[in-house]
Order: sequence, then C-alpha cells, then structure tokens
Amino acid sequence: MSDPGPRVLVIDDEVAIRRFLRSSLAAHGYSVHEAPSGEEALQVVPAIRPDVIILDLGLPGISGTEVTKCLREWTQIPIIILSVEGDESAKIAALDAGADDYLTKPFGTGELLARIRATLRRATKPEDGPVFVTGDLTVDLSGRLVRLHDVEVQLTPTEYSLLKTLVIHANKLLTHRQLVREVWGGAHYEDAQHLLRVNISNLRRKLETDPARPQYIVTEPGVGYRLRTESFSSAKAPGF
Amino acid sequence: MRVPYGTSLSLPVRESTVPPSHLPTRLFPFLGPAAQEESGWRVVPAGLALVALLTIVGSWIEPIIGGSNLAVLYMLAVVVTALRWGRRAAIVSAVSSALLFDFFFVPPLRTVGFRDISYLITLLGLLAIAVVVSILTLTAREEAQAARKREAHTLALYSLTKSLVAESDLDRILDAIERHAFETFQRQIVVWMPGEGGLRTRSRSIETDAMERTAAAWAFENGSEAGWATGTHSSSQTHYLPLRTWKGVVGVLGIQADGSREWLAKDEQQLLETFANQAALAITRAVLAKEAQYLNVLQETDKLQKALLNSISHNLRTPLASVTGALNSVLVDEALLDPSTRRELLMTAQDEAKRLNRLVQNLLDMTRLEGGAVHVKTEPCDVQDLIGSALEQLGDRVRERSIAVAVPPNLPLVPLDFVLSVQVLVNLLDNALKYSPPDAPIEIGATLRHDQLEIKVADRGRGIPEQHLERVFEKFFRAASGETPGGSGLGLSICKGLIEAQHGRIWAEHRSNGGTEIIFSLPLERER
Repeated sequence: MSDPGPRVLVIDDEVAIRRFLRSSLAAHGYSVHEAPSGEEALQVVPAIRPDVIILDLGLPGISGTEVTKCLREWTQIPIIILSVEGDESAKIAALDAGADDYLTKPFGTGELLARIRATLRRATKPEDGPVFVTGDLTVDLSGRLVRLHDVEVQLTPTEYSLLKTLVIHANKLLTHRQLVREVWGGAHYEDAQHLLRVNISNLRRKLETDPARPQYIVTEPGVGYRLRTESFSSAKAPGF
Repeated sequence: MRVPYGTSLSLPVRESTVPPSHLPTRLFPFLGPAAQEESGWRVVPAGLALVALLTIVGSWIEPIIGGSNLAVLYMLAVVVTALRWGRRAAIVSAVSSALLFDFFFVPPLRTVGFRDISYLITLLGLLAIAVVVSILTLTAREEAQAARKREAHTLALYSLTKSLVAESDLDRILDAIERHAFETFQRQIVVWMPGEGGLRTRSRSIETDAMERTAAAWAFENGSEAGWATGTHSSSQTHYLPLRTWKGVVGVLGIQADGSREWLAKDEQQLLETFANQAALAITRAVLAKEAQYLNVLQETDKLQKALLNSISHNLRTPLASVTGALNSVLVDEALLDPSTRRELLMTAQDEAKRLNRLVQNLLDMTRLEGGAVHVKTEPCDVQDLIGSALEQLGDRVRERSIAVAVPPNLPLVPLDFVLSVQVLVNLLDNALKYSPPDAPIEIGATLRHDQLEIKVADRGRGIPEQHLERVFEKFFRAASGETPGGSGLGLSICKGLIEAQHGRIWAEHRSNGGTEIIFSLPLERER
C-alpha cells in the first residue's frame, strides 16, 4: 500500500465501538489507530501524528475534555468528539476547549465519514482566497463586500464581523462562547449572548431565503452556530 | 342566641367581640348603662340628692298622705338608688333616709329619736331593703356579664370551628387558628409543628428565638403546658399549650404575654383550651389527609412503574427481536440469501435499532423529568430560530412535507430554554408527521398573547377524540387503538413535563375542519 490514506486515531474505551469504527473507516481507506484511554492517547499522538482524532467524551480516567485541552496546548489536529445525549455541558466544554465538531451516539457511518471529510478539508486546504462563495452567497473578505444573488447586502459592522468569523471557520461548529470572544472580545458573556442572538437573527433575515429554515447559518441547539456550505450539506448522509 | 352547628349562616368574624344581648337591662331599663358597681363613693351624692329631694317634697305632701306612706316613698328611693348606683350609695341613702325621716317626720319633730317603737321597724326596714336590693342587683348584673362573655366565647369558638371545617390545607388551617385566636384573646398566637430538624413554625409575628424554641419543645415532648405563667421555662414570653389528640401531641399552641404579667382569667383559660382542642383536631385531620394523599401518590407511582415495566418489556423486546433476528439470518444463512433480501434484512435491523434508540431516549427523558434532573436554562431566544432548529433536526422527514411557518416579523426575543423547547417542537412535529397523511399540510404558528408566548403545531390528521384531548398528555396513553406508528406513548407527556418545567402550559384542541392542534404557552416574565 503506497498510499495508506489519512490516519485516524480512535480514542474510546468501548471495544465494540472501536471495532465498528475500525472496520468501517478502514473500508473507506483510512488507516485506523486505537487508544482505549485518554492517558494512552496522549502518549501515542506524537508518534502516530494522526490527521484526525475521534474522541469519546465518557472516558475512564482523564475525561475527553481534559484530553482536548492537553492536545490543544501543542497541536491543532482536528478533533471530533463523540457524546451521548444529555451530556450537553461536557460537550460544550470540549468544544470551547477547541474540539472541532461532535457526533451524538448512536450515529451512522455516513454521518461520521461526512464529518471526517469536512474537518480534513478544512485542515488541509490551502489558505483561502479573499472571496468566499457558497450557493448564492458571496463574501469578499478583502473588500468587506457581501452579495446575495449578485445584489450587495448592507450589513452593520457587528453583523459583518459575525459573518466573517463564520466564513473563516466555514462548516466548523462555533460555540456561543467562541463567537462572543471573536466578535465582542472582552464583553460580558451573558450580555453578549443576547447580542449574538439578535445579530444572528438579523443576518438570517438579510441572507436567508426563508429565515425560519435557514440554509447557511445553522443553529446547533444549546451549543452554537455553523456556516454550512453546499458541499457540507450534501455530504450529510442519512443515517441515525 | 342559638346558632345551629354547621349551618351556612354567614357571620362576620368581628361580631364575636360585640356583646350580643342585654337581657337584664331590658327587664330593668332604669339600671341603665351607668350601672357600674365599681363606681364606688363617687355616686353616693346622687343617692343623697334623691333622698334630700324626697325630704323637701315630703314636707309638702306629708300632711296629705301621712307619715307611714312617706316611709314607703323613702323605701322606693333606696331601691332606685340600689339599682341605679349600687350597694354603697344604697346603704348611705338608707341610713340618711332613716335619719331624715326620723328628724323631720317622726315625733318629736326636729330631733333624732322616736317615741313610738313602730318607727324603729320602719328604719330597720329601710336598711334591710337597701342591702337586699343591692345584693340582688349585683348578682343580676354579674350574671348578665357572665352570659355576655359566654356568648362571646361561644361565638368565637363557633367561628373558629366554621373556618376550620371549611379548610383542608394545613397552612390555611394554621392561618385560621392564628387569626381567630388573635381576634378572641387580642394576643399574638404561634403554632409549632414537628418538622425536619425539630419543631418548626411559620409565624414571623412572634419571637422564635432559642429560648422560646426550648420552651415549645418541652411542651411538645412532655405534653403539658410550659413557658410564661407556668412552672417550666417561665422566663419565656409565651405560654405554650400542647395540641393533643388521640394521635398524641401534634403540635404546640403558643399565646404571647404581650407585656402583661397576668395570666388569662379562668373562663378565658377554658376557652383557650377548647381552642387548642379544636386546633389539634383540625391539624390532625389535615395531617391525615396529607398522609392519605401521599399513600395515593405512592400507589399511583406503583401503578405507573408497573405500566412502565410492561411498556419497557414489550417496546424494548420487539425491536430487539427484529434486530437480532435480521442480523442472525444474515450471518447464518449468508450463502442462501440473495443481495436484495440481505439488504432488506439489514435495513430492518437498522430501522428497528433506530426505534429502540428513540424509545430509550424517551425513557431517559421521562426519568430525568420525573427525577427533577432537568435543569431549565432560560435565556432570551429567537422564536424563528427555535422553529428552524426543530425543522432542521427532523431533516429529510420535513423536507418532503408542506409545512407553513407563521412567525410575526416583529416578535422580540422571548425568555425560554432553547434546547428543551426545540425538543418539545420536535416531538410535536414528529407526532404531526406520523399521524397525518403525507400530503396533508402542517402549520406552525407563534404569537404573543397577553404576557404569554403561544406556539402551536397544527395538523390535518385523524384527530383526537374529544374525551381524550386531556388524556393524551398522560404517560403511555394512546388515543388511537389498533395500528399505531410505533410510538412509545411518552412523547406528549415528555412535552408536558418540559413545558411545565418552564412554568408553561400545553393543551390539545380540535381544528374546525379536522385534525389536531397542540398549543403550548410560556410566560414572558419569569419569576426568579
């Protein structure tokens, strides 16, 4: 095998989950490595140098959030966390700590592959040009120009700053805290959260065909927002 | 005044302090309102003046009516004085009448003394009448007062009993006891009841420091009076009576000294005891009612748990059996299966596993709701975003359906728990999708009504029978019999729990042209 494919490190204590991920990821050309605990994972990451890490939040020993924090001290390797429903606070903590995306167990292989592809694309793509295009939306970051159906859209400075943050991290899930930090800097988080909602709502009114069923700016309830591009939405496979 | 027990006669409580009748004064109107025995020496001149007046008048009419008849008039004056001004004035009047009569009308005139022995009888008669009449008057007056007091007490007890009978809630019973006792005794009242960590009281109107607590606790444990005006903990400012019934001591009634050094009069003490007995009975009744209710809840919970177990064993095993069966076929009969059959089996396994997952999720949600483990995080939220997120979660299932969303464009941010409310909407939409034909439109609407946000999900499905509109929110209740699209019977009760956790309300309505409308409302202003 001359081209072993992208390296994936699966960190999960459940043997059955590791087995299922190993076979389905290997079938799609990934080279799969495994670690049953956070401690072991932190030891092997420098040696394996994975392209993407799949990290279970409910680990024995040090938690998934801790693992994320430790890794983010020295590497930006994309991390996709696996959580169970009802464990929202741990999920948000891990995302705030720098995890790239999450999947709720149980999930289908199609969805997992789509997430891995999207994260890898973001991590490996060359520096974006100044112009971002998805669907009918064009954002020219150098000229501070936003166009929808080739018509210029007037945005307030805050709305533009918010949209720019979403565009730079296109398809990445940004938590409320991350967005507030990027757009409002040191503002009080609770107050700024209110502003965040109002500005998201205004952006949708200006950019979305149907603001009640947004195509671009998607809400992840209780977690944050994501700017979804066409390639991402089409990759979203039916499954669990 | 006869008041039949338990009639609905409406008496303002205030009446208990008004003396209800004046029977003796009605019989003897000249007793008048000033008939106060304790007026003492101050009324003596009034009696003397009457006698002096009689002497002046007598000197004119004595030649006409004769001396012995005049003596009768003097007796009358003494009687009137006794009735009107009491014993002291009567005796003074009697003595002066005797002296004046002797001086002016008994020979030898203008001297004190008499020759005829019969006048001695007249004089002694005058004195005797004064004493007897004044004693009788006093007795009558005391009886009248006692009767008035008894009546007031009876009325106070009556109005207490009436209030207590009407209440079944412990807090309101305690309120009634404190209110009536205060009105009757004009002193602060406190009721102590056993609770977590010893005796507890709800009252803040009275000192409840450590000393009072100890005195009350002593009265409770020993079942006898303690505190002010007793031999135990007498430095306390409150007198404590145990509230005793056949169930033992249920609490302690405290009546405050209110600065006075004297304990209540004997009849008031008896009244207080009767009060305490009534209070004890009412409290016991309320406690028993509460216990009965608790037992009821326990039984209901037991029933629910059985239903839950039945539902779990059925609903969990059915999909599990399908998954196991399908996978087993694929593994064992691999060589015999053509690709399309194999695919069909695997699809079945996947669908059933999804169903199993939904069911487990519902059971977990229900458990969390009932265990109080759902933490509501209220934040100002965009309602449009709320609806959009719910639709997004349902994914392809709503993309093929006609769904109309009506949200007023000027709707402000509304305080709610975003995640919980999305879950409610997803459940409601899931029902609407399941229970209406694929080509029937579904409507979602949001409005502000008074100080509530109202969100409705309306479908054109087969509808819910009238008698089941409320019951659909009960756990495991299924409105439709026969073939159902594989729900757990928990969806709507989870919605109800999630909405009520946010202090909102959820209900179902019929639509005029068929179908169902589920509406939930959330308050815009939150009590913090």
